[in-house]
Amino acid sequence: MDVSQYLEIFLDETKEHLQSLNTQILQLEADPESMDTVNEIFRAAHSMKGMAGTMGYKRMQNLTHDMENVFSEVRNGNIKVQPDMIDVLFQCLDALEEYTNNIQTSADEGTNDNEPLIQQLNAILSGNKPAAAPGKQVKAEAANEAGVSEKWNHIVLDESQVKVICEAKAQGKEVYGLNVEVQENCILKAARAFLVFKSIEEKGEILVSDPCTQDVEDEKFDRDFSLIVVFDGELEELIKAASSVSEIANVTGAPLVLEENKSYQAAAVHKEEPVKEETPVSEVPAPAPAGKEEAPRAAAPAVKANEKKAGKPVVNRTVRVDIEKLDGLMNLVSELIIAKNSLVSASSQGESNSAAFNDQIEYLESVTTNLHESVMKVRMVPIESVVAKFPRMIRDLSKTLGKKMELYMSGEETELDRTVVDEIGDPLMHLLRNSADHGLESAEVRAQRGKPPVGSIFLDAYQDGNNVVIEVRDDGNGIDVEAVRNKAIDRGTITPEQAVNMTDKEIINLLFLPSFSTAKQVTDISGRGVGLDVVRSKIEALSGEVEVRSELGVGSTWIVRLPLTLAIIQALMVVVGGEKYAISLNTIQTLETIEPGDIKLVQNEEVINLRGTVIPLIRLHEVLDIESTNEPGDSLVVVIVKKGDSLAGLVIDELIGQQEIVIKSLGRYIKQCKFISGATILGDGEVALILDANALI
Amino acid sequence: MTGRSAAVNRKGERYMEQLNIANSLAMAEDENKEVVETFQYIVIRFGEEQYGIDIRYIDNIVRMQHITRVPKVPAYLKGVINLRGEVIPVMSIRVKMGLAADEFTRATRIIILKSEQEGNVGVVVDEVKEVVTLPVNEIEKVSHESRDGKPVFISGIGKHNGELISLLDLSFITLEDNT
Repeated sequence: MDVSQYLEIFLDETKEHLQSLNTQILQLEADPESMDTVNEIFRAAHSMKGMAGTMGYKRMQNLTHDMENVFSEVRNGNIKVQPDMIDVLFQCLDALEEYTNNIQTSADEGTNDNEPLIQQLNAILSGNKPAAAPGKQVKAEAANEAGVSEKWNHIVLDESQVKVICEAKAQGKEVYGLNVEVQENCILKAARAFLVFKSIEEKGEILVSDPCTQDVEDEKFDRDFSLIVVFDGELEELIKAASSVSEIANVTGAPLVLEENKSYQAAAVHKEEPVKEETPVSEVPAPAPAGKEEAPRAAAPAVKANEKKAGKPVVNRTVRVDIEKLDGLMNLVSELIIAKNSLVSASSQGESNSAAFNDQIEYLESVTTNLHESVMKVRMVPIESVVAKFPRMIRDLSKTLGKKMELYMSGEETELDRTVVDEIGDPLMHLLRNSADHGLESAEVRAQRGKPPVGSIFLDAYQDGNNVVIEVRDDGNGIDVEAVRNKAIDRGTITPEQAVNMTDKEIINLLFLPSFSTAKQVTDISGRGVGLDVVRSKIEALSGEVEVRSELGVGSTWIVRLPLTLAIIQALMVVVGGEKYAISLNTIQTLETIEPGDIKLVQNEEVINLRGTVIPLIRLHEVLDIESTNEPGDSLVVVIVKKGDSLAGLVIDELIGQQEIVIKSLGRYIKQCKFISGATILGDGEVALILDANALI
Repeated sequence: MTGRSAAVNRKGERYMEQLNIANSLAMAEDENKEVVETFQYIVIRFGEEQYGIDIRYIDNIVRMQHITRVPKVPAYLKGVINLRGEVIPVMSIRVKMGLAADEFTRATRIIILKSEQEGNVGVVVDEVKEVVTLPVNEIEKVSHESRDGKPVFISGIGKHNGELISLLDLSFITLEDNT
C-alpha cells in the first residue's frame, strides 16, 4: 500500500502524541498514582503504535509496543511507577523523536533498533532492575544490520524444504541465500525478476523465493526479493549470473546456515505453534557470525546512497487551521468577487457614475483590509507548540546540574506568526538554560540567602500592542555587574577608563557580544560564550529585541520582544533623493519639522534639542548615497525613531504617508546591506526598500 | 516444480517480448542522442558581441522596467525589480565583465535566470536576438584560466551560420564576490 500521502498527517499526529506523552510522563513523575495520567499515556502510546504499524515503520512500532506493555501493566496495578522507569520512558520518547525526525527528512525511520531500551522496558515488565550495558548496543546493531541484508533468513521454510536443504547439504551441494534488489526506476520489475530467475535456474535450483514465484511474476514485490538456491558451485557465480541482468541494483548472498533461519529457529523451539514470519525484535538476536561479514558490507553502499538523498525534508511544514478561520476567509473572498463585479459594472456605465465608482472602491478597501486580517490570523499559531517542550528540558537540566528547580509558564496560548514561532524555540531554550545554569544558585547558597531550596524559573508570554513579549525570569543570583566589568577589562573588550564611565546597563549589554561568558566553569549546558550573542542575533533577525533586567542576589529577567507578524506591517513611506523608502511604524516615535538653525554640533555630530532631549541626526541621503532634493536652507522633515532607550532623528526629503506594506525578501544576492531589511511592492508596481531604523542608530 | 517452470517460461516469453520492445525503444533513443545531441541557446547582444545563454537556465525575458536602486551594493548589482509580485535582483553583466555601463534602449531586456540556491536573478542585456540550436560538435570548449588573471565568463564558443557565439558561463552569477 502506498502510504506516502498520509505521511504529513502521520508526522503531525506523531509529534502531537510525543508532546503529550512528554507532558503526561512529567505529570506522572510528579504524581505516580494518577490513573488518569496513566490512561492518557496508554492511549497516546497505543495510537502511536497503530499509526507506526500502518505506515510500516516496524522499529517504531516495536518500541511503542513495548512501552505500551509497560503502561498496561502500570494501569493494571501490577507494577509501580519508579523514578528509573520514568528515565527509561523519557529515553524511549527521545528515541521515538529520532525516528520521527528521520522519517521527516528521508521518509525512512532509520536502522537504530534501540535494543537496549527495549531490553530495559522488558526488564521493567519482568520486575528486574534495568541494566544497560553499553557494549550490548553495538552488538545488537551489528546483528540487526546483518538481519536487514540477509533477508533469506526470514523466509518461511516448511518441513519438506528443510529436508531438501539438509539432503542437498548431505550430498555435498551448497545452499545459498540470495537477496536481489532491482533499481528504483526499473519499469518492468517482473520481467527483470524473471530474467534473474531464469539465469539462476541455468546454474542451480531455486528452492524457495520470498515473495513466492507467483507474486514476483505478478510484480507483487517492492524492490527486492530473496531466494534460496541449491547450487554446487561458488557463490560468486550465482551473484554474477543474477547481476548480469540489467536494471538490477544489488545482489547480495551468503551460504545458507539453516540454524539462522528465523522460521527454522521458531519451529525448533515451539514445534506445535504456527510459524511466524516476523520474529519480534525484542527477542535477543543471535550475534552475527564472523563469516557473514561480507553481506552487510555489500549492503552498506546501498544504505549510504539512500542517506545521501535525504537533503531536503520530504514533508512540507504545515499549519493546522481552525475551520472557522477558513470559513471567514471564504466569505471575504466571495465579497471580494462581488466587489470586483460591481466595479466592472460601474466602469462600464461610463464616467457619469463616479460616485458609485468611489463607493465600490471604498467597499473593496474594507474587504481587503478584513481579508488581510483574516489571513494573518490563519498564519498565527500559539507559542505552546514551542514552549511545551521546556518543562521536560528543565527536568533533565535539574538532574544533570543537581539543582532543584521548577518551571512556571503562563501565556502559552499567545499567538505569533508561524515563521516567528518556528525560530523562537532555540533562543528561548538558550535563555532558560542560562537561567538554570548561571542564574540559579546552588542549594547551599540559596539556603544562606534564605531563599526556598527549589529555584524558580518563569516563562511568561503576553501580547503588548503590536508586539508579543516573552519574559524568562529566575529568582537566582542575578548578573554580577562588577564581575562582567572586570572580565570585559581582562579580555580587552573595554579599557579600564571606559569601564568607569559605563552604566550598569551598558555593562550588562556586553554579555551579548560574541564569545563573552562569565561562567567560571564551562559546562555542557552553557558557558561557552556562544550563547547570548546567538540569542540576540536570532531575535534581531526576527525583527525583535532582547533586553535584560537584573538585580544582584535577587534574580534576572530577560525580555524578548517580537513583532506579531513579519509578513505585513504598517509603514511610513518617505522620499529621499527622489527614491521611495518605507520605515516601519513600530520604530517611529514622532515626526518633527526642524529649522536648519536648530541643528547644533556636538563632537562634530549634528544633534537637535527636542523638548529637552538631545537627539543625534542622521541625514538619510548621505547614508543612502544619493543627492538630497532639498535646498540647504529649507526646513527639514525629521523622523524620530527609537531603539531601546536611544533615539535618533532621520532627515528625509519628503513625507508620503502611512501605508500597509507586504514585506518581501531581497534574496541572497543583496544581503550585506545592513539597514535595508527588505523590499515591498507599491501600488504602481514599483519596488520600494524598507529601512531598518534599528540598524541605522 | 517442472510444471510450474513451464508456466513460468510461457509467461516469461511474454515478458521477453515486452522487454525487447523496451530495449529497442531505448536503443532508438540512444541512436537519436548520438546523431543530434544539441543545446539551445538564446542569443543576446552586448555592443558588437554576441553571447549565448543556455535556455535551460532561463526563466523568463522581460522588457526593461524601472529598477529600484539598492544602496551600498557592488556596482554590478543594478537593483531590484518587481516581477509579478516577486522582488528580483538585477545585475549588469557588462559591469561585471568590465565593459562600459549599460545604455538602456528600446531593445534592452532583462533576462531572468533560474538559480536553485540563490533564487532567481535578472541580467540586463542590450538585445535579445534569437534562439539557436547548436549541435554539440559545433561547440568549442574554452579553458577556465585566462592569461592575464582576469576571470573568464564564457564556457565555450559556438559556431552558427558562420558566426561565432560566445556561450556565457553562468556560474559567475552564483559566485559571490560582493564583499
